[in-house]
Amino acid sequence: MKLLYRLALRLTVVLVPLLVLWAALFYYATVDEIHDEADDSLEAYSYMIMTRHLAGETLPPLNNGSNNSYQLRQVDSLYAATRPHLQFRDDNYYIPDKREYEPARVLTTLFHTPDGRWMELEVATPTFEKDDLLETILGWIVFLYVVLLISGVSLTMWVIRSSMKPFYRLLQWVDRYTPGHAHEPVPNATSVAEFRQLSGAMQQMVDRSEELYDRQKQFIGNASHELQTPLAVLGNRMEWMLDTMELNEAQMAEVMRMLQTQRHLVRLNRNLLLLTKIDNGQFPESVAVDLVQLIRSEQEILDELYEEQQIRCTLQLPERFDVQMNESLASVLITNLLRNAYLHSAAGAAVEVSLGQRRLVVKNEGTEPLDAARIFERFYQGSKREGSTGLGLALVRAVCEAYGLLLTYQYGEGYHRFEVEWPA
Amino acid sequence: MKILIVEDEPSLRELMYRELTRESYVVECAATYDEADRKLAGYSYDCILLDIMLPDGNGLRLLEELKRNEREESVIIISARDALEDKVEGLELGADDYLAKPFHLIELVARIRSVARRRRGGRKGFALGNVVLDPESLRVTVAGEELPLLKKEFRILAYFMQRPNHLIDKTMLAESVWGDHVDQLDSFHFVYGQIKNLRRKLQEAGADIEIKAVYGFGYKLITPDTQS
Repeated sequence: MKLLYRLALRLTVVLVPLLVLWAALFYYATVDEIHDEADDSLEAYSYMIMTRHLAGETLPPLNNGSNNSYQLRQVDSLYAATRPHLQFRDDNYYIPDKREYEPARVLTTLFHTPDGRWMELEVATPTFEKDDLLETILGWIVFLYVVLLISGVSLTMWVIRSSMKPFYRLLQWVDRYTPGHAHEPVPNATSVAEFRQLSGAMQQMVDRSEELYDRQKQFIGNASHELQTPLAVLGNRMEWMLDTMELNEAQMAEVMRMLQTQRHLVRLNRNLLLLTKIDNGQFPESVAVDLVQLIRSEQEILDELYEEQQIRCTLQLPERFDVQMNESLASVLITNLLRNAYLHSAAGAAVEVSLGQRRLVVKNEGTEPLDAARIFERFYQGSKREGSTGLGLALVRAVCEAYGLLLTYQYGEGYHRFEVEWPA
Repeated sequence: MKILIVEDEPSLRELMYRELTRESYVVECAATYDEADRKLAGYSYDCILLDIMLPDGNGLRLLEELKRNEREESVIIISARDALEDKVEGLELGADDYLAKPFHLIELVARIRSVARRRRGGRKGFALGNVVLDPESLRVTVAGEELPLLKKEFRILAYFMQRPNHLIDKTMLAESVWGDHVDQLDSFHFVYGQIKNLRRKLQEAGADIEIKAVYGFGYKLITPDTQS
């Protein structure tokens, strides 16, 4: 979830209880105020009636046009003793004029006349309908909520979006960054201290990792390089023994085995150097290379070498398939893909190579899928094979990366399927 | 034939010296740019084996110097950097051949022989006993009679004839004829087949050279003078 959306969601959620609380307070305050006003007028009205009654004046008519109404009756002292003498309450009151019950505020007063009678006076004034008020308040609250939400959230969004710009620029930069490739400097065009700090820290980190990356690359290159001469010396000493020392068969077998190991080392070393060179972009010059021709000649050689295994190789190739590549790298790509297919095929297995529609597919029969996530890693080998360097597919990947080709591995219908795609 | 080895690695220098002396060349060594420079100022050689990465300078400058002075020496560059630019630059500067480390000494001897042969010009092809092989026209004759060979058979014979009396093991042979592809093979069945046919053809044509198997490991081309 994007930060902006999360903020918007949080604001939306936080606003709900806040507004509910506010609505409750507003409601009670309003009710309270209205009651206060009504009570004051009721008190005055009831006082007026009481005064008139005690003075023996005529009481106002019940229907005097106002909605106020009253009721005066005599009660016994027992009744008076059990009742509060002054009581406000909310009630539904029958309005004779309207002939219906309306919500009203009622004041009941008990008073004692000089001649010793207890009188109960009930005065009522219609008030508001609480449900209506609640409804209205709720309506306005929802309206307020929506308005607040829209204005608040969009304002917040806008503020955040505009003040977070340097941060988003930094994020975009991080997205584009891959170690070892050319990159722009970390964006740092901002006056916000925290962002400047972040950019600075990032720049330091990137510089450090670039340096480490370079050093590591150099180390592999240098190490492989330094190994060349000792390896040559070792190999030649063994060849010298074989060639000149009249060894017996057992001795010769032993030296041959050492020599095989030495040659394995030489190949390993050579492939590591090649990988380093590809990664360093040391094969710049590109020409139009016809892959069809490369595949045909490679297949011819492999068929000869693997004659005993009787591998059935079928090719589906167009007339020509020209790609802009370095010649050596094109050859690395093709030979390693094809050789891998032959090498890991059982006797009599099928290998299919097809080329067309910007895609090269090499399939070979196999019984179980390989680990697609690791198959192109250096030294990853599903099953350890004597003499195999474990670098063939890593070389294929390095070449594909150098030219931005899409390399995928899939397993299905009893076939390992390697595909190289030239993006349009 | 007099050869100067310019190589800073003592062990490799010693090996090269030993191998070339065994091939009855007159060999001198230089370990540094300066030493090589001094030797070249005082003497002339037929062939120089030049390592381009020397502790005190780039061997390619030495090559430039030689060419500027219009010296006659053949130069074979030896480099640990199997970089195409080095090779191109070296050959453009007038080197006769280029050999990347690590190399087989037998390969080095073959290259020297081949450079020397090109230098001499005139006489075409390699001749051993009554067999003559011409790499340019891809023809082989046995006692004057043409011997028809398939492409691979020809390449195998050429490889052997440039390295007579040396043990060539199967991997070395396979690598030189089929390229780098052989490195992961379990069997060298295809080598046996080719050699078998080649031996049969040589024998039927009455060649006095012979490819001999050395236990199960490799082969040696035996020439008439070593046989007797």
